[in-house]
Amino acid sequence: MTTTAKAATGTPVVGFDQVSKTYGTVRAVDGLTLALHPGETVALLGPNGAGKSTTLDLLLGLKNADSGSVKVFGTSPREAIVAGRVGAMLQSGGLMDEVTVAELVRLGCDLHPRPYKPADVLARAGISQIADRKVNKLSGGQAQRVRFALATAGDSDLIVLDEPTTGMDVSARQAFWATMREQADQGRTVLFATHYLEEADAIADRVLVLHRGRLLADGTAAEIKAKAGARRVSFDLEGPIDEAPLRDLPFLTSLDVSGQTVRLQSADADATVHALYGLGLYPRNLEVAGLGLEQAFVAITAAEEAKQS
Amino acid sequence: MNSLIKLELTRALRNRRFLFFSVIYPSVIFLLVSNQSGNVGGSGLSVAKYVMVSMASFGALTAVLMGNSERIAKEREGGWVRQLRLTTLPGRGYVLAKTAGAAVISLPSIVVVFLVAAAVKDVRLDAWQWLALTGAIWAGSLVFAALGVAIGYLASGDAVRPITMIVYFGLSILGGLWMPSSTFPGWLQDIAKWLPTHAYAALGRAIEQSQAPHAQDIAVLVAFFFLFAGGAAWLYRKDTLKA
Repeated sequence: MTTTAKAATGTPVVGFDQVSKTYGTVRAVDGLTLALHPGETVALLGPNGAGKSTTLDLLLGLKNADSGSVKVFGTSPREAIVAGRVGAMLQSGGLMDEVTVAELVRLGCDLHPRPYKPADVLARAGISQIADRKVNKLSGGQAQRVRFALATAGDSDLIVLDEPTTGMDVSARQAFWATMREQADQGRTVLFATHYLEEADAIADRVLVLHRGRLLADGTAAEIKAKAGARRVSFDLEGPIDEAPLRDLPFLTSLDVSGQTVRLQSADADATVHALYGLGLYPRNLEVAGLGLEQAFVAITAAEEAKQS
Repeated sequence: MNSLIKLELTRALRNRRFLFFSVIYPSVIFLLVSNQSGNVGGSGLSVAKYVMVSMASFGALTAVLMGNSERIAKEREGGWVRQLRLTTLPGRGYVLAKTAGAAVISLPSIVVVFLVAAAVKDVRLDAWQWLALTGAIWAGSLVFAALGVAIGYLASGDAVRPITMIVYFGLSILGGLWMPSSTFPGWLQDIAKWLPTHAYAALGRAIEQSQAPHAQDIAVLVAFFFLFAGGAAWLYRKDTLKA
């Protein structure tokens, strides 16, 4: 049923068109335009205050945009939610106190137009063993899984998760993403905001980098790494180091000299190292390594800030 | 929405402290206060009959005001209200479920006072009076249910409990639910007669006296209902835009 609905419509799952949202003097979201397509698993990445939560709030109709349009399955966010097409788990989403986990999940199922069986939802979220526990007696990680259960109480086409693994330990996190992959494998579109950059790298097909309410980068994790300068090069030099010629090396994106050690990032490490020898220098202990997404992210953000100031 | 009402009820019925204060406590005060014989000045009603209506009204007030204002404030802050907005539940469903939940608790709090009054203090009324009393006090409690919702959307954090307490005790005492307002000094009586709690109890006393309710009491209750419900709706909308 979900697949036919998707095949029938060419409309994006989520469409933001020139969306802005301002709080006082702060532009939380600034002319954001993006489209999510059926079946994608998308990470929304950005530092605190980048506008991730506001973006998700706008997407879910919890906030109204000052300008621009937000469409979910071609309709308003609220209409999409009422049609049961969106399941969401918010960081700021609270739970009802003094009821049991099972009672709360049953409520979640009752409120969905195409619900799953409560027992199945509990099992999938890994909370069957704590079904009889009171919601206000749960640990942070357990509460997160209850929120996840509420987000997946029915057959939704889009799952939205705001920093879903906050408060989970490493094994719980792995179990969570395994569950999430099952959701994605069933053809659902998944959008998640995260601080754990390795999660975006490991799980998402597509990474959106948000900074100061604007879309800084949109691509696969590999493309984003490439965009930030693909390689990290480090070496030692003897004698006093003259930084000026180093700064003129081709494809250089950042340079750091401390003592006898030079660390730099390059968009084309081969060309940079070749030019290094061309300067008549003799680098020792030369190392060339790929950047993790985390460094790539820091580099993109820093480059953006340098451009603005 | 029915499932949310059901869950709200389950939760309320599990809360012993809340049940004690809204269902048992008014009857206990009734037994303590209704010992005097004779009539309450000017009303022509025995002390037992007079206090019975006061305490039934007080119990209903407790049930609809105390639980909801604090719960709503907390659940707004805790994000449960946001979470519900991600479901198919219509926007007003949350408030309606809260009100319905309170109404189910307020009914026994009224009936238990009547049962205790009839069994222990030999209060006797016609069948229609018992039914009319129950109906009037139950329906009238909606005014205060709306007030509870309004406070829940107005106050937050640590402020909600003291505000609720001040409103609750202020309305109970000044409205004459604890002692007849005829014992107040004149200037206070002038204020008291415009309070919704005063009009609320007067409604019940008129039924006990086999009279039609006074137009002024009805007008006061209706005016306060629109004031509280309008305020609650306005605050609700403001909160929704903010969240």
